Amino acid sequence: MARILLRFPQSQFNAPITSEVVLELGVPISILTADITSKGGEVLAEVESKDVDRVAALFRKRGVAVDVQKQIEVDPDACIHCGACYSLCPVDAISFRKDRRVTFDVNKCVACGLCMDTCPTRAIHL
Amino acid sequence: MTPRLSEGVATTEDLRTIEDINEKIKKGDAVVMTAAEMKELVQQKGLKVAAKEVDIVTTGTMGAMCSSGAIVNVGHSDPPMKLEKAWINDVEVCHPGAAVDLYIGATIMDAKRPFLYGGGHVIEDLVRGKEVELRATSYGTDCYPRTRLETTLTKNDLNQFYLLNFRNGYQRYNCATNSRDETIYTYMGKLLPHYGNATFSGAGCLNPLCNDPDYETIGIGSRIFLGGTQGYIIGEGTQHEPEDGFGTLMVRGDAKKMSPEFLRGAAFKNYGTTLYVGIGVPIPILNEGLAKKTAVTDGEIFTSIVDYGVPRRDRPKLRKVSYEELKSGRIDVNGRTVKVSPLCSLSTAQVIAETLKGWIEDSSFYLTRPVERLPRDTHVSPMKQTREVLFVEGLIRPAVTCKEDDNVEVVAKKIIQQNVNHIVVVDDESRLSGIVTSWDITRAVANGKKGLTEIITRRVVTASPQEPVEAASRRLALHNISALPVIDDQRKVLGIITSEDLSKLVRG
Repeated sequence: MARILLRFPQSQFNAPITSEVVLELGVPISILTADITSKGGEVLAEVESKDVDRVAALFRKRGVAVDVQKQIEVDPDACIHCGACYSLCPVDAISFRKDRRVTFDVNKCVACGLCMDTCPTRAIHL
Repeated sequence: MTPRLSEGVATTEDLRTIEDINEKIKKGDAVVMTAAEMKELVQQKGLKVAAKEVDIVTTGTMGAMCSSGAIVNVGHSDPPMKLEKAWINDVEVCHPGAAVDLYIGATIMDAKRPFLYGGGHVIEDLVRGKEVELRATSYGTDCYPRTRLETTLTKNDLNQFYLLNFRNGYQRYNCATNSRDETIYTYMGKLLPHYGNATFSGAGCLNPLCNDPDYETIGIGSRIFLGGTQGYIIGEGTQHEPEDGFGTLMVRGDAKKMSPEFLRGAAFKNYGTTLYVGIGVPIPILNEGLAKKTAVTDGEIFTSIVDYGVPRRDRPKLRKVSYEELKSGRIDVNGRTVKVSPLCSLSTAQVIAETLKGWIEDSSFYLTRPVERLPRDTHVSPMKQTREVLFVEGLIRPAVTCKEDDNVEVVAKKIIQQNVNHIVVVDDESRLSGIVTSWDITRAVANGKKGLTEIITRRVVTASPQEPVEAASRRLALHNISALPVIDDQRKVLGIITSEDLSKLVRG
């Protein structure tokens, strides 16, 4: 998944832009937080990584400022839970569960990419 | 020759024999505990009860094991060919013997995809049932006339596909950290500068050899869990060092029956490719001593924190550390808490111990009595070298230094009097703060500059005393410079090496 921060200008606050984008592209957009007033607003949303470029382009076309926030993605089939990545994370987004499997907290992750090139099975992508 | 069974620590079978245990496995009555469960049981009910109740303790480890590979027999082509050079998926596979036997070494890399794909990945692809491409060339003989060959194969097309690993399952291994002022990429993974993180290998109290440290029950012919199927220990591994608790295993198993969950190609950036191998050894509780040994905890197994920033055979050891501290995720290095990564998959190690336990409970895995125990009296020697390599510490000369607030005239005098081209600028604690060359001074004089601060080079390329002269020489050439201040890990200036000294070496 990829996160997009949408900044709606005051002039557009009345238009159903998000719905129009969903209908036109036929892709799901899940809204994580929304702060909208008559002066405009900010929406943090999640879309599938493969759709993010199309979604961002269409919002921009409609006058919305789009900030694509990259997120770490871990291929569960490739990860062997060795934990090589753990000690490289500067924000403690990588931890071990009780059964010693590795988990990633995407909310803490700042997508710095430090962990990526240490993964022996190349399971981590941005 | 005396069988090794009689050597080392005597093994008594006063609680039960291997045969007794196999009889119980047959009936489905054997009491099996994973190493983790055994430790809890001993803590809760005591050693005597645990020794009486438990027949077998299962262990496990899943680590990057470079000295791994597979021997394959690819069958004969028509006309036949003695494969001289061969590649599978562009990874060179060596030809160690007869016409169509090939050994796929885990660390050999695809020349076009270095550090991404190698022998370990070829083995994993074959285990997964994927098709691979074989390419071979030869010189041609009267009996083997063919000189070129290209074909595709899966594991079903191979007559034999055996994992054959020369050094696996290290009893314990180093914890690695890095003193340098740059990130380094090693076989112990990515190590951040200034001891910024650490990595360790080995499964600690789950590791097979840690649960039978005197090798009472482990030896040639021990049946084990290997890569997801039943395999065998075929002897001690290379570099087996029992006295220091660095024992190793040589193993063999039918790779056609293995699973990618327990056998995985891997790549360490700027080091190379390898193979993660899952190994589990059942330890029969033949006597109370073995019950005690299998109750070993992570707090009782120690290794050393080693500075991989020093590229020498004997790397500096910072201190001892227990696996308990390592598995906590944070360790103290030189007074600072840093995060430490396991490189061994501890979750898979536990799954291996549980899977092996399940096989024994299902009566599908029986114990074997080793025909010869692992040796306890071997030692590892360093290489006999006919020519010693010269290190920076052997070529270092005292540096002529100055302070930042010295003026150009003073420094110019030093250059003339001492007959040098480089003046190292240091602070009050002799730490490196820059470098000034005779050329810098000449320019300063020409431009009428008086103060040093304007002409100092602050980003100084340096050398460490422990590195080979060859490495320092490469750095001089790379940066097109003629001297390197030699500093320690606190950036204190120890001296200088110059290209003039290096060229004297070449002249002999």
